[in-house]
Amino acid sequence: MDLTKAKIRDLRKALDNKEISAPELCAEYLKRIDEQDGKLLSYITVTKEKALSDAENAQKIIDAGKSSALTGIPLAVKDNICVDGVRTTCASKMLENFIPPYNATVIEKLNAQGYVLLGRASMDEFAMGGSTQTSAFAKTRNPYDLERVPGGSSGGSAAAVAASLAPASLGSDTGGSIRQPSSFCGVTGIKPTYGRVSRYGLVAFASSLDQIGPICNDARDCAIMLNAICGADAHDATSARVETPDFTEKLGQPIKGLKIALPKEFFSDAVDSSVKACVLDAAHELEKQGAVLVECSMPGLKYAIPAYYLIACAEAASNLSRFDGIKYGFRGEGRTYEELIRDSRSRGFGEEVKRRILLGNYALSSGYYDAYYKKALALKQEIIRQYNQIFEQADVILTPTAPTPAYKIGEQDNDPVKMYTADICTVTVNIAKLPGISTTCGYTADKGLPVGMSIIGKRFDEQTILQVADAWESGFVPLAPKL
Amino acid sequence: MAVELKTIEHLCELSKLNYDEDGLKKVMGEMGDIINLMDEIKEFDLVYDDTKDGNEIRFGDTREDVPAESFPTEKLLANAENTDGCYVVPKVVE
Repeated sequence: MDLTKAKIRDLRKALDNKEISAPELCAEYLKRIDEQDGKLLSYITVTKEKALSDAENAQKIIDAGKSSALTGIPLAVKDNICVDGVRTTCASKMLENFIPPYNATVIEKLNAQGYVLLGRASMDEFAMGGSTQTSAFAKTRNPYDLERVPGGSSGGSAAAVAASLAPASLGSDTGGSIRQPSSFCGVTGIKPTYGRVSRYGLVAFASSLDQIGPICNDARDCAIMLNAICGADAHDATSARVETPDFTEKLGQPIKGLKIALPKEFFSDAVDSSVKACVLDAAHELEKQGAVLVECSMPGLKYAIPAYYLIACAEAASNLSRFDGIKYGFRGEGRTYEELIRDSRSRGFGEEVKRRILLGNYALSSGYYDAYYKKALALKQEIIRQYNQIFEQADVILTPTAPTPAYKIGEQDNDPVKMYTADICTVTVNIAKLPGISTTCGYTADKGLPVGMSIIGKRFDEQTILQVADAWESGFVPLAPKL
Repeated sequence: MAVELKTIEHLCELSKLNYDEDGLKKVMGEMGDIINLMDEIKEFDLVYDDTKDGNEIRFGDTREDVPAESFPTEKLLANAENTDGCYVVPKVVE
Protein backbone atom coordinates (compact mmCIF):
# COMPACT_ATOMS: atom_id res chain seq x y z
CA MET A 1 0.00 0.00 0.00
CA ASP A 2 1.32 3.45 -0.89
CA LEU A 3 1.53 5.35 2.36
CA THR A 4 2.76 8.63 0.87
CA LYS A 5 0.55 11.35 2.32
CA ALA A 6 -1.99 8.66 3.32
CA LYS A 7 -4.96 10.18 5.12
CA ILE A 8 -6.50 8.72 8.27
CA ARG A 9 -9.84 8.31 6.51
CA ASP A 10 -8.25 6.40 3.59
CA LEU A 11 -6.50 4.08 6.03
CA ARG A 12 -9.77 3.63 7.92
CA LYS A 13 -11.46 2.52 4.70
CA ALA A 14 -8.61 0.16 3.82
CA LEU A 15 -8.68 -1.39 7.31
CA ASP A 16 -12.45 -1.79 7.41
CA ASN A 17 -12.55 -3.23 3.87
CA LYS A 18 -9.78 -5.70 4.83
CA GLU A 19 -7.48 -4.41 2.11
CA ILE A 20 -4.81 -4.37 4.79
CA SER A 21 -4.75 -5.57 8.40
CA ALA A 22 -3.79 -3.35 11.34
CA PRO A 23 -0.57 -5.35 12.00
CA GLU A 24 0.37 -5.12 8.29
CA LEU A 25 -0.25 -1.37 8.25
CA CYS A 26 1.76 -0.94 11.43
CA ALA A 27 4.62 -3.02 9.98
CA GLU A 28 4.63 -0.87 6.82
CA TYR A 29 5.06 2.31 8.85
CA LEU A 30 7.73 0.71 11.06
CA LYS A 31 9.59 -0.30 7.89
CA ARG A 32 9.44 3.26 6.55
CA ILE A 33 10.69 4.60 9.88
CA ASP A 34 13.51 2.06 9.88
CA GLU A 35 14.55 2.99 6.34
CA GLN A 36 14.16 6.77 6.48
CA ASP A 37 14.27 8.15 9.99
CA GLY A 38 18.04 7.76 10.24
CA LYS A 39 18.43 10.91 8.16
CA LEU A 40 15.35 12.72 9.47
CA LEU A 41 15.53 11.98 13.23
CA SER A 42 11.84 12.64 13.80
CA TYR A 43 11.50 10.00 16.51
CA ILE A 44 13.29 9.81 19.86
CA THR A 45 11.86 6.37 20.62
CA VAL A 46 10.23 3.92 18.21
CA THR A 47 7.93 1.69 20.24
CA LYS A 48 8.08 -1.27 17.87
CA GLU A 49 6.92 -4.04 20.21
CA LYS A 50 4.11 -1.97 21.69
CA ALA A 51 3.04 -0.85 18.22
CA LEU A 52 2.72 -4.41 16.96
CA SER A 53 0.88 -5.48 20.09
CA ASP A 54 -1.46 -2.43 19.84
CA ALA A 55 -2.09 -3.36 16.21
CA GLU A 56 -2.98 -6.97 17.08
CA ASN A 57 -5.50 -5.70 19.62
CA ALA A 58 -6.89 -3.20 17.11
CA GLN A 59 -7.39 -5.95 14.56
CA LYS A 60 -9.57 -7.86 17.02
CA ILE A 61 -11.80 -4.77 17.37
CA ILE A 62 -11.97 -4.39 13.58
CA ASP A 63 -12.78 -8.08 13.12
CA ALA A 64 -15.59 -7.71 15.63
CA GLY A 65 -17.00 -4.90 13.48
CA LYS A 66 -16.60 -2.39 16.30
CA SER A 67 -13.98 -0.05 14.90
CA SER A 68 -13.93 3.67 15.69
CA ALA A 69 -12.28 6.39 13.57
CA LEU A 70 -8.79 5.68 14.93
CA THR A 71 -8.89 1.92 15.50
CA GLY A 72 -5.67 0.48 14.10
CA ILE A 73 -4.41 3.92 12.96
CA PRO A 74 -0.70 4.30 13.75
CA LEU A 75 0.22 7.64 15.36
CA ALA A 76 3.32 9.43 16.61
CA VAL A 77 3.05 11.20 19.97
CA LYS A 78 5.19 14.14 21.03
CA ASP A 79 7.63 13.14 23.74
CA ASN A 80 6.09 15.41 26.40
CA ILE A 81 2.76 13.57 26.61
CA CYS A 82 2.80 10.82 29.23
CA VAL A 83 2.22 7.25 28.10
CA ASP A 84 2.06 4.67 30.88
CA GLY A 85 5.17 2.49 30.77
CA VAL A 86 6.71 4.24 27.75
CA ARG A 87 9.79 6.44 28.20
CA THR A 88 8.78 10.11 27.99
CA THR A 89 11.85 12.34 27.84
CA CYS A 90 10.68 15.86 26.88
CA ALA A 91 13.86 15.68 24.77
CA SER A 92 15.78 16.47 27.93
CA LYS A 93 18.64 14.77 29.72
CA MET A 94 16.63 15.62 32.85
CA LEU A 95 14.01 13.01 31.91
CA GLU A 96 16.21 10.69 29.86
CA ASN A 97 15.03 7.60 31.74
CA PHE A 98 11.62 8.77 32.95
CA ILE A 99 8.83 6.23 32.54
CA PRO A 100 5.42 7.69 33.43
CA PRO A 101 3.26 5.67 35.79
CA TYR A 102 0.06 6.87 34.09
CA ASN A 103 -1.46 7.91 30.77
CA ALA A 104 -2.28 11.47 29.76
CA THR A 105 -6.02 11.89 29.24
CA VAL A 106 -5.52 12.25 25.46
CA ILE A 107 -3.76 8.87 25.47
CA GLU A 108 -6.64 7.30 27.42
CA LYS A 109 -9.00 8.67 24.79
CA LEU A 110 -6.89 7.32 21.93
CA ASN A 111 -6.60 3.98 23.70
CA ALA A 112 -10.39 3.85 23.93
CA GLN A 113 -10.44 3.97 20.12
CA GLY A 114 -7.70 1.34 19.74
CA TYR A 115 -4.97 3.52 18.18
CA VAL A 116 -1.46 2.23 17.57
CA LEU A 117 1.53 4.05 19.12
CA LEU A 118 4.40 4.12 16.60
CA GLY A 119 6.74 6.07 18.82
CA ARG A 120 7.68 9.26 20.57
CA ALA A 121 8.30 12.24 18.34
CA SER A 122 11.24 14.56 18.95
CA MET A 123 10.80 18.14 20.08
CA ASP A 124 12.68 21.10 21.50
CA GLU A 125 13.72 20.42 25.08
CA PHE A 126 10.66 20.92 27.32
CA ALA A 127 8.95 22.42 24.22
CA MET A 128 11.18 25.50 24.43
CA GLY A 129 12.25 26.45 20.95
CA GLY A 130 11.15 26.74 17.36
CA SER A 131 13.64 24.47 15.60
CA THR A 132 13.81 21.08 17.40
CA GLN A 133 17.55 21.74 17.60
CA THR A 134 17.45 22.05 21.39
CA SER A 135 16.43 18.37 21.62
CA ALA A 136 18.98 16.43 23.67
CA PHE A 137 18.38 13.25 21.67
CA ALA A 138 17.16 13.82 18.09
CA LYS A 139 17.76 17.11 16.29
CA THR A 140 15.10 16.60 13.64
CA ARG A 141 15.67 17.75 10.04
CA ASN A 142 13.18 19.17 7.57
CA PRO A 143 11.94 16.57 5.05
CA TYR A 144 11.91 19.20 2.27
CA ASP A 145 15.57 20.07 2.83
CA LEU A 146 17.65 18.06 5.27
CA GLU A 147 19.90 21.06 5.90
CA ARG A 148 16.99 23.03 7.32
CA VAL A 149 15.07 22.93 10.58
CA PRO A 150 11.60 21.35 10.77
CA GLY A 151 10.40 24.12 13.08
CA GLY A 152 9.39 23.46 16.63
CA SER A 153 8.82 22.69 19.24
CA SER A 154 6.71 19.83 17.77
CA GLY A 155 9.24 19.41 14.94
CA GLY A 156 9.37 15.61 15.18
CA SER A 157 5.57 15.35 15.06
CA ALA A 158 5.40 17.55 11.95
CA ALA A 159 8.38 16.01 10.14
CA ALA A 160 7.11 12.46 10.74
CA VAL A 161 3.75 13.29 9.14
CA ALA A 162 5.36 15.22 6.25
CA ALA A 163 7.67 12.30 5.47
CA SER A 164 4.81 9.78 5.82
CA LEU A 165 6.47 8.12 8.80
CA ALA A 166 3.07 8.46 10.52
CA PRO A 167 -0.29 9.45 9.04
CA ALA A 168 -0.89 11.84 11.95
CA SER A 169 0.60 12.84 15.26
CA LEU A 170 -0.03 14.69 18.48
CA GLY A 171 1.90 17.85 19.30
CA SER A 172 1.58 20.60 21.88
CA ASP A 173 1.43 24.34 21.34
CA THR A 174 2.42 27.02 23.89
CA GLY A 175 3.34 29.83 21.50
CA GLY A 176 3.09 28.25 18.04
CA SER A 177 4.66 24.84 18.58
CA ILE A 178 2.07 22.96 16.50
CA ARG A 179 1.42 25.62 13.85
CA GLN A 180 4.97 26.77 13.05
CA PRO A 181 6.45 23.28 12.44
CA SER A 182 3.32 22.42 10.43
CA SER A 183 4.12 25.46 8.29
CA PHE A 184 7.81 24.56 7.89
CA CYS A 185 7.02 20.91 7.04
CA GLY A 186 4.05 21.48 4.73
CA VAL A 187 1.39 19.77 6.85
CA THR A 188 -1.75 20.91 8.70
CA GLY A 189 -1.80 21.42 12.46
CA ILE A 190 -4.40 22.85 14.79
CA LYS A 191 -4.04 24.41 18.22
CA PRO A 192 -7.46 24.08 19.83
CA THR A 193 -8.99 26.71 22.11
CA TYR A 194 -7.37 26.69 25.55
CA GLY A 195 -9.46 24.32 27.66
CA ARG A 196 -10.78 22.29 24.72
CA VAL A 197 -8.33 19.41 25.31
CA SER A 198 -7.27 18.13 28.71
CA ARG A 199 -3.66 18.93 29.65
CA TYR A 200 -3.53 16.13 32.23
CA GLY A 201 -0.36 14.20 31.51
CA LEU A 202 1.19 16.89 29.32
CA VAL A 203 4.51 17.86 30.92
CA ALA A 204 3.91 21.51 31.79
CA PHE A 205 5.82 24.37 30.18
CA ALA A 206 3.47 27.36 30.66
CA SER A 207 0.19 26.16 32.10
CA SER A 208 -1.98 29.11 31.01
CA LEU A 209 -0.84 28.72 27.39
CA ASP A 210 -0.14 25.00 26.74
CA GLN A 211 -2.57 23.04 24.61
CA ILE A 212 -2.38 19.62 22.92
CA GLY A 213 -3.45 19.30 19.29
CA PRO A 214 -3.07 17.14 16.18
CA ILE A 215 -0.76 17.46 13.17
CA CYS A 216 -2.10 15.74 10.05
CA ASN A 217 -2.01 15.77 6.27
CA ASP A 218 -5.08 17.97 6.04
CA ALA A 219 -7.86 19.73 7.95
CA ARG A 220 -10.26 16.79 7.54
CA ASP A 221 -7.89 14.49 9.39
CA CYS A 222 -7.38 17.18 12.05
CA ALA A 223 -11.15 17.18 12.60
CA ILE A 224 -11.15 13.40 13.04
CA MET A 225 -8.31 13.63 15.57
CA LEU A 226 -10.01 16.46 17.46
CA ASN A 227 -13.20 14.41 17.73
CA ALA A 228 -11.14 11.77 19.51
CA ILE A 229 -9.18 13.89 21.99
CA CYS A 230 -11.45 16.77 23.09
CA GLY A 231 -13.66 17.01 26.14
CA ALA A 232 -13.81 18.11 29.76
CA ASP A 233 -11.71 16.15 32.21
CA ALA A 234 -12.02 15.89 35.98
CA HIS A 235 -8.21 15.61 36.14
CA ASP A 236 -7.71 19.07 34.60
CA ALA A 237 -9.43 22.00 36.30
CA THR A 238 -8.64 24.15 33.25
CA SER A 239 -10.45 21.91 30.81
CA ALA A 240 -13.58 23.80 29.83
CA ARG A 241 -17.04 22.49 30.51
CA VAL A 242 -18.35 23.08 27.01
CA GLU A 243 -20.09 20.78 24.61
CA THR A 244 -17.83 18.98 22.15
CA PRO A 245 -19.31 19.29 18.67
CA ASP A 246 -18.65 17.02 15.69
CA PHE A 247 -15.64 18.81 14.20
CA THR A 248 -16.28 17.30 10.76
CA GLU A 249 -19.76 18.83 10.60
CA LYS A 250 -18.94 22.03 8.68
CA LEU A 251 -16.32 20.51 6.37
CA GLY A 252 -17.26 20.96 2.73
CA GLN A 253 -19.79 23.71 3.45
CA PRO A 254 -19.34 26.77 1.20
CA ILE A 255 -17.56 29.77 2.69
CA LYS A 256 -19.62 32.30 0.73
CA GLY A 257 -20.19 35.45 2.76
CA LEU A 258 -17.74 34.40 5.49
CA LYS A 259 -15.71 37.40 6.67
CA ILE A 260 -11.93 36.93 6.83
CA ALA A 261 -9.92 39.65 8.61
CA LEU A 262 -6.34 40.46 7.61
CA PRO A 263 -4.67 42.48 10.40
CA LYS A 264 -2.11 44.71 8.69
CA GLU A 265 0.56 44.29 11.38
CA PHE A 266 0.90 40.59 10.47
CA PHE A 267 1.95 41.63 6.96
CA SER A 268 4.69 44.09 7.96
CA ASP A 269 8.27 44.23 6.68
CA ALA A 270 9.25 41.73 9.37
CA VAL A 271 7.58 39.05 7.22
CA ASP A 272 9.42 37.68 4.16
CA SER A 273 7.99 38.91 0.88
CA SER A 274 7.73 35.30 -0.40
CA VAL A 275 5.59 34.39 2.61
CA LYS A 276 3.38 37.48 2.30
CA ALA A 277 2.79 36.81 -1.40
CA CYS A 278 1.71 33.18 -0.77
CA VAL A 279 -0.67 34.12 2.06
CA LEU A 280 -2.24 37.04 0.19
CA ASP A 281 -2.68 34.90 -2.94
CA ALA A 282 -4.49 32.34 -0.81
CA ALA A 283 -6.66 35.10 0.69
CA HIS A 284 -7.72 36.14 -2.81
CA GLU A 285 -8.47 32.52 -3.73
CA LEU A 286 -10.76 32.32 -0.71
CA GLU A 287 -12.33 35.58 -1.86
CA LYS A 288 -13.05 33.91 -5.21
CA GLN A 289 -14.91 31.22 -3.29
CA GLY A 290 -17.17 33.95 -1.88
CA ALA A 291 -15.41 34.96 1.32
CA VAL A 292 -15.23 38.67 2.14
CA LEU A 293 -11.81 40.08 3.04
CA VAL A 294 -11.81 42.64 5.84
CA GLU A 295 -8.89 44.95 6.58
CA CYS A 296 -8.19 45.51 10.26
CA SER A 297 -5.47 46.33 12.76
CA MET A 298 -3.90 44.79 15.85
CA PRO A 299 -1.53 47.42 17.31
CA GLY A 300 -0.82 45.24 20.35
CA LEU A 301 1.22 42.88 18.17
CA LYS A 302 4.17 45.27 18.61
CA TYR A 303 4.55 44.15 22.23
CA ALA A 304 3.45 40.55 21.81
CA ILE A 305 6.91 38.95 21.99
CA PRO A 306 7.94 40.43 25.36
CA ALA A 307 4.44 39.86 26.76
CA TYR A 308 4.49 36.21 25.69
CA TYR A 309 8.03 35.46 26.84
CA LEU A 310 7.52 37.12 30.21
CA ILE A 311 4.34 35.17 30.93
CA ALA A 312 5.58 31.86 29.46
CA CYS A 313 8.97 31.98 31.18
CA ALA A 314 7.49 33.05 34.53
CA GLU A 315 5.22 30.01 34.40
CA ALA A 316 8.07 27.79 33.17
CA ALA A 317 10.34 28.87 36.03
CA SER A 318 7.62 27.82 38.45
CA ASN A 319 6.67 24.59 36.64
CA LEU A 320 10.26 23.43 36.20
CA SER A 321 11.10 23.99 39.85
CA ARG A 322 9.78 20.45 40.40
CA PHE A 323 12.91 19.04 38.74
CA ASP A 324 15.21 18.75 41.72
CA GLY A 325 16.88 15.41 41.07
CA ILE A 326 15.10 13.87 44.04
CA LYS A 327 11.68 12.53 43.11
CA TYR A 328 12.51 11.54 39.54
CA GLY A 329 14.72 12.59 36.67
CA PHE A 330 18.45 13.21 36.39
CA ARG A 331 20.28 13.20 39.71
CA GLY A 332 23.56 15.08 40.01
CA GLU A 333 26.04 15.05 42.85
CA GLY A 334 26.50 17.07 45.98
CA ARG A 335 27.44 16.85 49.61
CA THR A 336 24.32 18.71 50.70
CA TYR A 337 20.70 18.89 49.60
CA GLU A 338 21.29 22.36 48.07
CA GLU A 339 24.36 21.21 46.14
CA LEU A 340 22.52 18.14 44.89
CA ILE A 341 19.61 20.18 43.55
CA ARG A 342 21.80 22.79 41.86
CA ASP A 343 24.05 20.19 40.28
CA SER A 344 21.07 18.12 39.08
CA ARG A 345 19.42 21.14 37.44
CA SER A 346 22.61 22.59 35.99
CA ARG A 347 23.60 19.34 34.29
CA GLY A 348 20.09 18.04 33.57
CA PHE A 349 18.72 21.09 31.72
CA GLY A 350 20.01 22.38 28.38
CA GLU A 351 21.10 25.98 27.77
CA GLU A 352 17.82 27.30 26.34
CA VAL A 353 15.76 25.86 29.19
CA LYS A 354 18.13 27.45 31.71
CA ARG A 355 17.90 30.84 29.98
CA ARG A 356 14.11 30.72 30.18
CA ILE A 357 14.15 29.77 33.86
CA LEU A 358 16.46 32.73 34.54
CA LEU A 359 14.21 35.10 32.59
CA GLY A 360 11.11 33.79 34.38
CA ASN A 361 12.66 34.30 37.78
CA TYR A 362 13.83 37.76 36.72
CA ALA A 363 10.26 38.74 35.77
CA LEU A 364 8.88 37.38 39.03
CA SER A 365 11.56 38.67 41.38
CA SER A 366 11.18 41.51 43.83
CA GLY A 367 11.63 44.90 42.18
CA TYR A 368 10.85 43.63 38.67
CA TYR A 369 7.46 41.96 39.10
CA ASP A 370 5.35 45.07 38.41
CA ALA A 371 7.54 46.36 35.60
CA TYR A 372 7.62 43.09 33.69
CA TYR A 373 5.20 40.38 34.75
CA LYS A 374 2.22 42.58 35.60
CA LYS A 375 2.84 44.68 32.52
CA ALA A 376 2.77 41.50 30.44
CA LEU A 377 -0.56 40.56 32.03
CA ALA A 378 -1.92 44.04 31.16
CA LEU A 379 -0.84 43.48 27.60
CA LYS A 380 -2.53 40.07 27.57
CA GLN A 381 -5.80 41.81 28.48
CA GLU A 382 -5.26 44.36 25.71
CA ILE A 383 -4.54 41.67 23.11
CA ILE A 384 -7.73 39.83 24.13
CA ARG A 385 -9.66 43.11 23.77
CA GLN A 386 -8.20 43.74 20.32
CA TYR A 387 -9.03 40.21 19.13
CA ASN A 388 -12.60 40.60 20.46
CA GLN A 389 -12.88 43.86 18.51
CA ILE A 390 -11.73 42.19 15.27
CA PHE A 391 -14.18 39.33 15.78
CA GLU A 392 -17.03 41.85 15.95
CA GLN A 393 -16.49 42.43 12.24
CA ALA A 394 -15.07 39.10 11.05
CA ASP A 395 -15.62 35.35 11.43
CA VAL A 396 -11.97 34.33 11.19
CA ILE A 397 -8.55 35.97 10.93
CA LEU A 398 -5.92 35.06 8.34
CA THR A 399 -2.19 35.59 8.96
CA PRO A 400 1.14 34.06 7.97
CA THR A 401 2.11 31.26 10.37
CA ALA A 402 5.78 32.27 10.50
CA PRO A 403 7.70 35.27 9.14
CA THR A 404 9.96 32.99 7.06
CA PRO A 405 10.01 29.52 5.55
CA ALA A 406 12.26 26.90 7.20
CA TYR A 407 15.74 28.30 7.81
CA LYS A 408 19.12 26.56 7.77
CA ILE A 409 20.20 24.52 10.79
CA GLY A 410 22.52 26.65 12.91
CA GLU A 411 21.26 29.96 11.55
CA GLN A 412 19.65 31.04 14.83
CA ASP A 413 22.00 29.23 17.22
CA ASN A 414 23.40 31.46 19.95
CA ASP A 415 20.92 34.20 19.14
CA PRO A 416 17.96 33.87 21.51
CA VAL A 417 16.55 37.27 20.53
CA LYS A 418 16.31 36.23 16.86
CA MET A 419 14.76 32.92 17.94
CA TYR A 420 12.16 34.63 20.11
CA THR A 421 11.12 37.30 17.61
CA ALA A 422 10.48 34.59 14.99
CA ASP A 423 7.40 33.61 17.03
CA ILE A 424 5.64 36.91 16.30
CA CYS A 425 2.86 35.45 14.13
CA THR A 426 1.71 32.76 16.55
CA VAL A 427 2.06 33.82 20.21
CA THR A 428 -0.97 36.12 20.45
CA VAL A 429 -3.28 33.19 19.69
CA ASN A 430 -2.09 31.43 22.84
CA ILE A 431 -2.21 34.63 24.87
CA ALA A 432 -5.87 35.13 23.85
CA LYS A 433 -6.70 31.40 24.27
CA LEU A 434 -8.01 31.18 20.68
CA PRO A 435 -7.96 28.24 18.25
CA GLY A 436 -5.65 28.47 15.23
CA ILE A 437 -4.91 26.14 12.33
CA SER A 438 -1.94 26.27 9.98
CA THR A 439 -2.21 24.86 6.48
CA THR A 440 0.15 25.02 3.54
CA CYS A 441 -0.67 27.87 1.16
CA GLY A 442 2.23 27.53 -1.28
CA TYR A 443 5.92 26.83 -1.80
CA THR A 444 8.78 29.28 -2.25
CA ALA A 445 9.64 29.74 -5.91
CA ASP A 446 13.39 29.29 -5.52
CA LYS A 447 13.75 26.41 -3.06
CA GLY A 448 10.32 24.80 -3.01
CA LEU A 449 9.97 25.20 0.75
CA PRO A 450 6.44 25.05 2.18
CA VAL A 451 4.77 28.26 3.36
CA GLY A 452 1.98 28.11 5.93
CA MET A 453 -0.94 30.38 6.66
CA SER A 454 -2.88 30.48 9.91
CA ILE A 455 -6.61 30.75 10.26
CA ILE A 456 -7.57 31.99 13.72
CA GLY A 457 -11.08 31.57 15.10
CA LYS A 458 -13.28 32.69 17.93
CA ARG A 459 -12.99 30.77 21.18
CA PHE A 460 -14.41 27.24 20.78
CA ASP A 461 -15.15 27.81 17.08
CA GLU A 462 -12.71 25.24 15.72
CA GLN A 463 -15.43 24.15 13.29
CA THR A 464 -15.22 27.37 11.26
CA ILE A 465 -11.42 27.44 11.00
CA LEU A 466 -11.49 23.79 9.92
CA GLN A 467 -14.14 24.69 7.36
CA VAL A 468 -12.00 27.51 5.91
CA ALA A 469 -8.81 25.43 5.90
CA ASP A 470 -10.69 22.61 4.18
CA ALA A 471 -12.16 25.01 1.61
CA TRP A 472 -8.63 26.16 0.77
CA GLU A 473 -7.18 22.63 0.71
CA SER A 474 -9.93 21.38 -1.61
CA GLY A 475 -8.35 23.38 -4.43
CA PHE A 476 -4.70 23.02 -3.43
CA VAL A 477 -2.30 20.28 -4.52
CA PRO A 478 0.35 19.65 -1.84
CA LEU A 479 3.79 18.48 -2.91
CA ALA A 480 5.29 15.56 -1.01
CA PRO A 481 8.94 15.95 0.04
CA LYS A 482 11.51 13.93 -1.88
CA LEU A 483 13.53 12.05 0.67
CA MET B 1 21.09 47.24 29.07
CA ALA B 2 23.94 45.18 30.46
CA VAL B 3 23.00 42.85 33.28
CA GLU B 4 25.15 43.12 36.36
CA LEU B 5 27.00 40.10 37.70
CA LYS B 6 25.23 40.34 41.05
CA THR B 7 21.83 40.24 39.28
CA ILE B 8 22.77 37.08 37.41
CA GLU B 9 24.13 35.52 40.57
CA HIS B 10 20.86 36.34 42.34
CA LEU B 11 18.86 34.78 39.47
CA CYS B 12 21.06 31.67 39.61
CA GLU B 13 20.29 31.42 43.30
CA LEU B 14 16.54 31.75 42.70
CA SER B 15 16.72 29.27 39.81
CA LYS B 16 18.99 26.78 41.59
CA LEU B 17 21.48 26.78 38.72
CA ASN B 18 25.27 26.84 38.62
CA TYR B 19 27.48 28.27 35.88
CA ASP B 20 31.25 28.17 35.66
CA GLU B 21 33.13 31.43 34.99
CA ASP B 22 32.90 31.24 31.19
CA GLY B 23 29.28 30.12 31.31
CA LEU B 24 28.40 33.03 33.57
CA LYS B 25 29.99 35.56 31.17
CA LYS B 26 28.13 34.05 28.24
CA VAL B 27 24.76 34.00 29.96
CA MET B 28 25.26 37.60 31.18
CA GLY B 29 25.57 38.72 27.56
CA GLU B 30 22.59 36.67 26.42
CA MET B 31 20.38 37.81 29.30
CA GLY B 32 21.33 41.42 28.55
CA ASP B 33 20.06 41.03 24.98
CA ILE B 34 16.90 39.22 26.12
CA ILE B 35 16.08 41.83 28.77
CA ASN B 36 16.56 44.60 26.21
CA LEU B 37 13.89 42.87 24.13
CA MET B 38 11.62 42.54 27.18
CA ASP B 39 12.13 46.23 28.00
CA GLU B 40 10.05 47.15 24.94
CA ILE B 41 7.00 46.35 27.04
CA LYS B 42 7.75 49.33 29.28
CA GLU B 43 6.54 51.66 26.50
CA PHE B 44 3.08 50.19 26.86
CA ASP B 45 1.11 52.21 29.36
CA LEU B 46 -1.91 50.25 30.49
CA VAL B 47 -2.34 48.81 33.94
CA TYR B 48 -3.28 45.21 34.69
CA ASP B 49 -6.78 44.82 36.05
CA ASP B 50 -6.99 41.55 37.93
CA THR B 51 -10.79 41.75 38.18
CA LYS B 52 -10.99 41.30 34.43
CA ASP B 53 -8.61 38.39 34.17
CA GLY B 54 -9.52 34.79 33.44
CA ASN B 55 -13.13 35.51 32.48
CA GLU B 56 -12.77 34.43 28.87
CA ILE B 57 -13.53 30.78 29.45
CA ARG B 58 -15.76 29.13 32.01
CA PHE B 59 -13.83 26.30 33.55
CA GLY B 60 -15.39 23.52 35.52
CA ASP B 61 -16.42 23.73 39.10
CA THR B 62 -14.09 21.86 41.37
CA ARG B 63 -14.98 18.20 41.53
CA GLU B 64 -16.47 16.56 44.57
CA ASP B 65 -13.96 15.52 47.18
CA VAL B 66 -14.55 11.82 46.77
CA PRO B 67 -11.81 9.38 47.76
CA ALA B 68 -10.48 7.53 44.72
CA GLU B 69 -7.88 4.90 44.07
CA SER B 70 -4.38 6.31 43.85
CA PHE B 71 -1.15 5.03 42.35
CA PRO B 72 0.76 2.25 44.08
CA THR B 73 3.80 3.59 45.97
CA GLU B 74 6.21 1.26 44.14
CA LYS B 75 5.08 2.62 40.78
CA LEU B 76 5.57 6.23 41.88
CA LEU B 77 9.00 5.51 43.31
CA ALA B 78 10.11 3.57 40.23
CA ASN B 79 11.66 6.68 38.66
CA ALA B 80 13.56 7.82 41.72
CA GLU B 81 17.13 6.82 42.49
CA ASN B 82 18.34 5.39 45.80
CA THR B 83 14.91 4.50 47.06
CA ASP B 84 14.19 2.26 49.97
CA GLY B 85 10.50 2.99 50.15
CA CYS B 86 11.57 6.66 50.51
CA TYR B 87 13.44 9.32 48.55
CA VAL B 88 17.02 9.13 49.79
CA VAL B 89 19.01 12.38 49.69
CA PRO B 90 22.36 13.50 51.16
CA LYS B 91 22.47 14.37 54.83
CA VAL B 92 21.44 17.99 55.40
CA VAL B 93 23.13 18.28 58.80
CA GLU B 94 26.89 18.61 58.38
